[in-house]
Amino acid sequence: MEPLTSNKSNSYLTFKLGEEQYAAHVDKVLNILEMSPLTHVPKAPEYMKGVMNLRGAVLPVIDARIKFGMEATEYTSNTCIVVLDVDMDGDSVHVGAIVDSVQAVIEIKTEQILPLPTLGSRYKAEYIIGMAKLDNKFIIILNMDAVFSADEITTLKIEAETTAMAEETAEAEAPTEAN
Amino acid sequence: MDDFRTKFIEEASELIEKMEDALLDLEKSPDDENLIQLVFRVMHTLKGNSSMFGFEQIEKFTHNLETIYDLVRNQQLALSEEIINTTLACVDHLKNMLDESNYEDSDFMTTHNGLMAKILYIANPSEHPMGTDGASPSPTAPQSTPAQPEELATYYILFEPHETIFNNGTNPLYLLDELSELGQIKAFAHLNRMPAFEQLDTDLCYTYWEIFLSTDKDLDAINEVFIFVESDCKLDIQKISDVNILNNNKFIGELEELVRTKSDIGLASAQQLAMRSTSQVKHAKAEVVKKERINTREKNVSSIRVSSEKLDSLMNLVSELVITQARLSLFDNQHDVHGLTPIVESVQKLSRQLRDLAFGIVLIPIENLITRFQRLVRDLSVELKKEVDFIADGTDTELDKTIIDNLADPLMHILRNSLDHGIEEAEVRIAHGKPVKGTIKFKAYYSGASVIIQISDDGAGMNPEAIREKAIQKGIIAPERKLSKKEILDLIFLPGFSTASKVTDISGRGVGMDVVRKKIAAIRGEVDVDSELGRGTTITIKLPLTLSIIDGLLVSINKTSYVIPLAAIKKIYAVDKKLKYGSFNNLKTLDDEQIPFFSLRKEFNLTPSDEQMEQIVVVNFEDSNVGLVVDHVEGEYQAVLKPLGRHYKSHDIFSGATILGNGTVALVMDTNKIIKMFAHLTH
Repeated sequence: MEPLTSNKSNSYLTFKLGEEQYAAHVDKVLNILEMSPLTHVPKAPEYMKGVMNLRGAVLPVIDARIKFGMEATEYTSNTCIVVLDVDMDGDSVHVGAIVDSVQAVIEIKTEQILPLPTLGSRYKAEYIIGMAKLDNKFIIILNMDAVFSADEITTLKIEAETTAMAEETAEAEAPTEAN
Repeated sequence: MDDFRTKFIEEASELIEKMEDALLDLEKSPDDENLIQLVFRVMHTLKGNSSMFGFEQIEKFTHNLETIYDLVRNQQLALSEEIINTTLACVDHLKNMLDESNYEDSDFMTTHNGLMAKILYIANPSEHPMGTDGASPSPTAPQSTPAQPEELATYYILFEPHETIFNNGTNPLYLLDELSELGQIKAFAHLNRMPAFEQLDTDLCYTYWEIFLSTDKDLDAINEVFIFVESDCKLDIQKISDVNILNNNKFIGELEELVRTKSDIGLASAQQLAMRSTSQVKHAKAEVVKKERINTREKNVSSIRVSSEKLDSLMNLVSELVITQARLSLFDNQHDVHGLTPIVESVQKLSRQLRDLAFGIVLIPIENLITRFQRLVRDLSVELKKEVDFIADGTDTELDKTIIDNLADPLMHILRNSLDHGIEEAEVRIAHGKPVKGTIKFKAYYSGASVIIQISDDGAGMNPEAIREKAIQKGIIAPERKLSKKEILDLIFLPGFSTASKVTDISGRGVGMDVVRKKIAAIRGEVDVDSELGRGTTITIKLPLTLSIIDGLLVSINKTSYVIPLAAIKKIYAVDKKLKYGSFNNLKTLDDEQIPFFSLRKEFNLTPSDEQMEQIVVVNFEDSNVGLVVDHVEGEYQAVLKPLGRHYKSHDIFSGATILGNGTVALVMDTNKIIKMFAHLTH
């Protein structure tokens, strides 16, 4: 599963958190690993699951469920660590994200990406690039740089809000689109 | 070709820095021939290099400068303060000259021409020898310097005028004056023949002299001085040494002692003393020559230029090697392969040595910064008209190059503050009964795995009340808040706080101590302040020794491995858990000492273990000992520090992580921060 790179393509990696499908641009994805033992870092925020050895470097791993304000679940054989290359204040930083399962690499054309409905001021648009509807299912396209580089504590709060909002939006949007 | 020019500029900057260094030393000991030689040599090299690479202006400039020091080292020109000041100004100018674009700047050219004229003025009048004594070597023949002192010899002269010497109009003192023109003299006047006052005849001379003269003239020249009084006195001139022994303090001291006890020295004892001193002086001279040779040899070896990229990759490779070696050791432990263990052990030994060596390479002495600081203090003290002594101690303390590079600015800032706000004006100092000259001390030393740098002044100190008021006024603290003195002093590190009541040119440019703290924190350092009103201020900076590999103790807590830096550890005790929890107030008596302890299991929010025995690792914490309770101690471990990454940036109780032989990650504890955190939580 080594390089998932493409020349600024329309390819996105989709993954699941709970029932929700999310997508990240493949340029941001370095690697997909099986869930492996982590070294827990005491006193760190709950979503900071620990660190692991990735080819001689120390990789911080974040539980995406907790980070997005969802309930933590047991890890299964489908649980994966998506190694991301995110941009933090101009530096490229590697971070692992634990997701429930990795789905597929799909093509989403730019015109297929729908802007977020402006449902109210609570919506933190900078974390979400947009939404796409494929096979009657909504996929939330995340801005990985923003999601995984923002200051941990505020992010947690805002993310919890954002995800809740995203779910709401998806639900609210679905029937209208179906019509 | 551009490549060569860059190299030249790099090398020239180094040479100029070296010259500045030597000049500042020279200012303190202007008679040091070695330093004069050094300055000359550096100038000479600079001249040679610049002509080779086509920097004609620099070549011309240094050529003239070199002329001055050629005269100085040939003792045709006395090294005056003016010369040193001019040379220092030239050093500054030379730095600018390296940037050729400056030549179009008219200000620059004015300075250039001004300095050039000054140099020529200093060099020129001295082309006519100052008339000390003839035979001086011509400036075009720069032979080994102290040609003249070598030819000096010391004479003993007994000059005993007849009582009637005044009758023909001779003043014996004029003779002594004349003698002193031949060289260095030391005269002992004997007044023991002086009669009682009533019997004193003012027309008679009762005094006689014993004179020691060191000169390069021969016996005839000395005799010539006495040529007109030969018949009116008793004269005895004897050569007692073929070197100058009058600078030998011991010899002079012994002579003075003799005069005090016996009044007369006498030729015999003079000869005896002289013989001893002669051998001493000769010996010392040989020593100097030898030292000089050693110095040059050392210097030849010590300067090798390696690009920092090469060093970086060396460090990375060594780190990889250390990790691989750990894997090998683990493999050896798990598999019983015949003959493997001794090989693994020697690989371990070698990699440790290699590691220490490699890390030693990137360490540079803090001395590299000191020259800049001395210059700063010197210039500022002139500008502010405050007399200040700058004393640097422990300058051979070594630190990682990156740390040194990042240290310069904050330290400069602290020094500027000390000079500008710390040290008072001369009148104020006198009024407070302090010595007129202020002192700024710079001290660096090792303390465990850290290096401590202290900058202290004996100036006005800081007034906690004034700081408090200011903080309240600026809305930094609430008026009713009670703060300890340390907490108040700590306020100066907050953004937007500047103690200077008036903005001066030197400090108070809006950059405050908050920037100093931020910059030092960026290299994992800590900065503290202590001040006594009226006594002075001390700023203490604590820095990590190196940034990448540490010797640690591998421990485990709840089956997870952690590394505690060995440098912080004092002792390890195995304790029965039952006994420990019976102890009062988290204090445990170990070796008759009450030691507060923290259970890491508890503090890390883990469930208590059911094992009977635990280990208490006693570590150093701010001058006292604190115990950290862990499950097991695994052993010593060299940890290659890897950053935990930006995501754990604010989580600083771990200074990093390391990868163990089995591929898992162990966290490296920062014991100071951990204890601080726990101590805070329990309060």
